[in-house]
Amino acid sequence: MTIDPKKLNKVAEKGVPDILFCIARQPTSTTLFVGNSSFQVAALQTDAEKPEFEPLTGDAHQSYVTGLAVAGESKNVLVSGAYDGRLIWWDPEQRQSIRAIDAHPSWIRGVVASPDGRLIASVADDMVCRLWDANTGDSIRSLDKHARETPHHYPSMLYAAAFSPDGQFLATADRVGHVIVWEVETGAVAAELDAPVMYTWDPRARRHSIGGIRSVAFSPDGKKLAVGGIGKIGNIDHLGGPSRIEIFHWEKNERLHEIEDSKLKGLVERLHFSPSGDWLLAGGGDHGGFLSFYNVESGELIHQVKAPMHVHDFVFDDQAEKLYTAGHNKIAEWSFTEDEESSN
Amino acid sequence: MPNRHATSGLITPSRRQFLGSAAALGTAFAADMSTLDVLQNPTFASELKKQQKHVILLWLAGGASQLETWDPKPGQPTGGPFRPISTSVPGVEVSELLPKLAERMKHTAIIRSLNTKVGDHGGGAKLMETGRRPEPGTDFPDLGAICARELGRRDSQVPDYVSMYTSTEGRRKGTSGFLGSRYAPMFLSDQMTPKNIARLESISVSDHQARSDLRSLLAKGFAEHRQNDLVASHNTAYQRVKGLMASETLFDISGEPDSIRAMYGPTQFGEQCLVARRLVEAGVPFVKVARAWWDSHGQNFETHRELCADLDQSMSGLLDDLEQRGLLENTLVITLGEFGRTPRINPSLGRDHFASAWSCSLSGCGVRGGSVYGKTDPKGNTVVDGEAKAGDLFATIFEAVGISTHHEYYLGSRPVPIVDFGCEAISEVLA
Repeated sequence: MTIDPKKLNKVAEKGVPDILFCIARQPTSTTLFVGNSSFQVAALQTDAEKPEFEPLTGDAHQSYVTGLAVAGESKNVLVSGAYDGRLIWWDPEQRQSIRAIDAHPSWIRGVVASPDGRLIASVADDMVCRLWDANTGDSIRSLDKHARETPHHYPSMLYAAAFSPDGQFLATADRVGHVIVWEVETGAVAAELDAPVMYTWDPRARRHSIGGIRSVAFSPDGKKLAVGGIGKIGNIDHLGGPSRIEIFHWEKNERLHEIEDSKLKGLVERLHFSPSGDWLLAGGGDHGGFLSFYNVESGELIHQVKAPMHVHDFVFDDQAEKLYTAGHNKIAEWSFTEDEESSN
Repeated sequence: MPNRHATSGLITPSRRQFLGSAAALGTAFAADMSTLDVLQNPTFASELKKQQKHVILLWLAGGASQLETWDPKPGQPTGGPFRPISTSVPGVEVSELLPKLAERMKHTAIIRSLNTKVGDHGGGAKLMETGRRPEPGTDFPDLGAICARELGRRDSQVPDYVSMYTSTEGRRKGTSGFLGSRYAPMFLSDQMTPKNIARLESISVSDHQARSDLRSLLAKGFAEHRQNDLVASHNTAYQRVKGLMASETLFDISGEPDSIRAMYGPTQFGEQCLVARRLVEAGVPFVKVARAWWDSHGQNFETHRELCADLDQSMSGLLDDLEQRGLLENTLVITLGEFGRTPRINPSLGRDHFASAWSCSLSGCGVRGGSVYGKTDPKGNTVVDGEAKAGDLFATIFEAVGISTHHEYYLGSRPVPIVDFGCEAISEVLA
């Protein structure tokens, strides 16, 4: 089915006591998995009459769970990462942990799986991206070139990673707006890009930094790279800045679009190109949340809706008929059909 | 400008009276102190106790989170992502964001039970600067001005109160209130060194000295025939200006060894903490170093990762440096802001203003290191033990540096106690 972004409407939402930072689902499954602020990975059966989150058992994280990826060649493994620096492998059928490893000495910000499911990449505030064998958990390579400190001597942060559709490249992005595209096979640097507007340093009034690139996505043809974050922040206390996306032709180091939105503001936490590459979906927020569709060719806004919460992550179903957003104290279901809005 | 009220005075003999007496006694004091039996005199004993005491206030402007510093709440929905860590004092835990300070907990007392009720920046700051709520018609002095007056030396040639707020919001200058401009802060708002105290380049050092000598000669001749406070004050003012000009170098840390600078870290806050140590070492009784901006309504955890790293490094360097120089036992280091932050985490991953149950720390002089006073409930919403008001904290600070909490100032005929009514020192954190 071809998605018409303008038909997006919310069909259900569910309040939860936790902050949901990440969401994932296996192909053909009706189960959603989330990572939350109660240090859990939890499952939600979407076709249940009264869906409730059920925490997975076994090894447990000891801080916010911020990354979740479906991996393995049969997409039969779930890998979570947390601010405790650990990666935990889960059996989604048995809903139990398989193994846990100390992967980073600091906060893990994101976990992504390669398109073929063989690799896991984790990014953390040690400013290193680490590649892991998705089946065995063995360490394969460390990608270490992001600066550990901001230019003003404060700890930097490595927020986001994404594999290219062919799995040959991996992009990582940090707090000061620096992007590195790595060759997965060799660990060599294929390109470096900068989006410095994503980072606000207030040297005079509040002497504080904020911002950074929070999301990265390759286009289906692998040529474009979109990065999302926040533009120049006016009120540094309240995330008072426009949502911001930059789209690059990364091999040419050419910036194609700079997209800012001051109507629905805040951080762009998640980016997703349509299968045909004609539009780009951005989710995020400040106190509120948003879902915004942009025309990739022109950079223009196609459609935009307010989300009922700050959106930290989203995932589509197999037919791309439904979208599930996870965020602050809520999970919401969206449809691209003409269904009337309802909630439970 | 001094307050329109009458000049303040003390019911108890003032420190200045004491110092004046001591100076007048001169060699007699040094020759045979036992005959004076000075320690049997409570007033003199108190004065001796506060000899050369100093206070460094690390003002966490905007309001730091108690949950991400001194009062972590692990395993609670309000606890946030950071883990508590053990400290060098068994049983005492702080946030993992303060690993260096955790190792130095033997110097530090934590108060976890402040309930100050005022949750706006202006009101909260005023309360925590003066130790009491504002009253119409009364301009209360802040902590720095009180310490400047009570701990300062009459003959000091360095400033009594230096407030550094460089390159931040700059909106909290500090006030000497009814104590008058004599105790107002030397305020550094946009540069590391004071303005207008350098010798003019057009005047050579020898010319400058010759002019000073001539002025002193003429002034001395003038004063010999006139026993007048105004004349004495005039000469004192010149001496202080001369002292201030000489103190310019105190603000220049370029000559400090790299090893010392590394202790404090490369940030501006670190450099200002190093300046604070230099000032204290030179005799300045009160130094405030304000670090902004902790007002983390959005991205609280990242804000605290950044600012706590700064605080942890710089304050640890400061405590080590003071200790190594033998200054820590006479110097009280305080961390304080206008309030704490809500246990509730808002949709921007922020914490908002919260004055009902928050924390501060006291380190060094007069403090029982490793002590923890007060307790909040498991989620950090309320104080459940040892509730403390701003005035209680001020009384504790005064006791720690030897300032009598029974002092009273006079505004005309109205006595104003140095500590707010109904407040008393928290003896559990005092050495």
